[in-house]
Amino acid sequence: MKQWIRWSGLVGFIAISALLVLGWLFAAGPIIKYSIETFGSQAANAKVEVENISLTFDPFGIEIEGLQVANADKPRENLLQFERAVADIELLPLLLGKGIVNEVALTGLAFSTPRQTSGALAKVIEDEAESSTDEETETTADKNEASLSQQALPTADELLSREPLLTEQRGKAFKNSFETIKTDSDKALTALPDSKAFASYEDDFKRITSGRFDSIKDFQQRKKEFDGLKKRIKQDQQAISQASKVLANGKKELQGQWSGLQKAPAEDFNNLKSKYQLDGTGVANLSRLLFGDKVGEWSQEGLYWYEKVRPFLVSADAETVASQDEPETARSEGRFVHYATDRPLPELLVRQVQLALQLDVGQVSVEIYDITHQQEIIDRPTRIVATGKGLKDIKSLDLKGSLDHRVVPGKDVFDLNIKGIVLKNYDVGAMGLKLDRSQLDIIGQAELISGEVDANTIAQFTRAKFSSKDKTQVAVEMAKALAKIDHFDIQGKAKGALTAPDISIESDLDTQLSQAFNQRLKEKQQELEAQLKTALNDKLLSYGGDYKEQLKAMDLANGSLGDKQAKLKQLAGSELSSFQDQQKADAKRKLEQEKKAQQAKLAEEKRKARAKAKAAADKKKKQLEKEAKERFKKLF
Amino acid sequence: MIAMLAKLLKALNSDSAPGQIALAFALALITGLTPLFSLHNAVIVFIACILRINFGAFLLGTLFFSGLAYLIDPAAIALGESVLTDTAYQGFLTDLYQSDFWRATRFNNTLVLGSLMIALISFIPVLLISRWLISVYRHKLMAWVDKLKITKVLKASKFYKVYQALAD
Repeated sequence: MKQWIRWSGLVGFIAISALLVLGWLFAAGPIIKYSIETFGSQAANAKVEVENISLTFDPFGIEIEGLQVANADKPRENLLQFERAVADIELLPLLLGKGIVNEVALTGLAFSTPRQTSGALAKVIEDEAESSTDEETETTADKNEASLSQQALPTADELLSREPLLTEQRGKAFKNSFETIKTDSDKALTALPDSKAFASYEDDFKRITSGRFDSIKDFQQRKKEFDGLKKRIKQDQQAISQASKVLANGKKELQGQWSGLQKAPAEDFNNLKSKYQLDGTGVANLSRLLFGDKVGEWSQEGLYWYEKVRPFLVSADAETVASQDEPETARSEGRFVHYATDRPLPELLVRQVQLALQLDVGQVSVEIYDITHQQEIIDRPTRIVATGKGLKDIKSLDLKGSLDHRVVPGKDVFDLNIKGIVLKNYDVGAMGLKLDRSQLDIIGQAELISGEVDANTIAQFTRAKFSSKDKTQVAVEMAKALAKIDHFDIQGKAKGALTAPDISIESDLDTQLSQAFNQRLKEKQQELEAQLKTALNDKLLSYGGDYKEQLKAMDLANGSLGDKQAKLKQLAGSELSSFQDQQKADAKRKLEQEKKAQQAKLAEEKRKARAKAKAAADKKKKQLEKEAKERFKKLF
Repeated sequence: MIAMLAKLLKALNSDSAPGQIALAFALALITGLTPLFSLHNAVIVFIACILRINFGAFLLGTLFFSGLAYLIDPAAIALGESVLTDTAYQGFLTDLYQSDFWRATRFNNTLVLGSLMIALISFIPVLLISRWLISVYRHKLMAWVDKLKITKVLKASKFYKVYQALAD
């Protein structure tokens, strides 16, 4: 047996193994440091720096010192940093290439600390330089929008400048059409014959048609002139028809648009009225006015930290699916068959992280369990438990979270419970209102699935006392109304895309205040409505301009066109008689003269005959009267 | 490579026990057929180091069987798959799976288990056959090979000088 053993080989094996282990021990620190800085920077989109990494052997693990994660949005600030983190790593799974970390203990954790150097990545700096101009513009726009949204009671002018108005849209369209039609009609009218042209036509007609034809040549000359004149008149008639058509079409179009424009202010007014209700609905928005900014800030803060932390806790669902599929395709390497176990081994698993958050209100201890990008292997979600006790002005704080990505789509759930927050001199921010004192309990739930958030938080205020230094009527009335309120709830909801959720705030404070404010707001509403109506009518008038005068002018023009057309028709209907006709007319005239002379002679003869007969009759009558008188004398 | 081959020829032609060379080949069968970076191969290398076997033959054998593994891999994967998914062994395999040590051996990988099974089954036949072949070579072929013209040509080459240097 002895001759089969090669002792030198044993020594060689041990020596080589020792060399390999020592080499790994020396190389492991820098390799892990490089990995954390490289992949951490990719995940955080900003510099991740580690001061030192060393290995520990009892228990086996690594110790990370001085880690800083820069804030991608503020390169001169660290998102977080910690002084020391000790990770207890299982050795055997490392031989399988699996990083199983039993526990990570963090000390000296701090957020939003200043940095000596910029934490922006080189690529990000380049991109920022390119988009700086765009951002400036966007920032200005955002500021404008923000300042507008912060205004509690907008004026009519602000509403009109903020909203897209039908009056403006239709007004602009009307103005354009009006200009075009006016130009077209002016052009058409310019081409028409004027009064001088008409007088000239009449003179020409008289000259051509009056007087006798001296000869056939004279007749032909006049005929030629007459035909030329008729041709010109026909052209003028066509121009008048064209102008009439232009005027009629223009008038029709303008009348249609004018009708729409006239209706626009009423439609705008109704739209604005429904959007900016200041009556019952407006009162319901009062809590948003008072606490909206704060709720918005808190929501933004929560979502900001969620988005920053999430990539470090779980991987994207798509990546998980890809990693599940990968082993199936690698046939030449075989595949791993997994069995039921209470100790599943994903590629990376941090079983427990313990850290203490040092906040303004005190220390909050946070425990995170089962951080891995392969939750389907361990069949457990990543869990977060944050507890704060003995905090300044807060009785207790409990946050429980679960990031469950075992199936697609993943589901992240958070429950928040804060009790006994003591509020003192809390600046509400609107109308100079201040919450002098109150006790507050907050209960909140949030659910995030596929980038959609559905969050619901109830804040219960008790023993509340408000005051206001503002002397405006609204502030005074508000303070008076709030003085009677001891407790109220505010319910905040966030729903929709994670990047831009719709945030709504409801409160029984609204109901309590609605009656007190109803009258005041009605007055305000009426005032605003009156302002809106006036402003909209002004706008209408500014677009309408001299439309009516122009329409009248178009009507007149159209009427005069009719007269002109009739006159031209009459002129065009005239005919020039021929030379033969003139001879015939002469003969006819002579015949008529002779006939008239004969008729006069006959009449004279008749008159004479009648006079003679009358004289004879008078003579006979006188004779009879004389005889009668004599017979009468004889009788007496 | 030349030196390694020369060493092998030296071993074949020397008084080394045929069993030592044959065992080197048999051990190389395991390291060659199974994925190299496996825990069991560390054990095999350790054995190869401490046993008085021909190390050159072990390394050359590993190279040879690694090449052969490309042909055998599909069959090895199929064998591993059938064993690992066989309901009769589920209890036993599940018990092994609970241990970090056994999981570190990657026994639940179809290629590792399949190729290791093939290697272990072939271990004794390869050991015996290679031992028999070495004996045959020494007793019958060596004298005949020496007389071959190609052997004479080789003896005049650089390769033979290396071989001689090692033999001395």
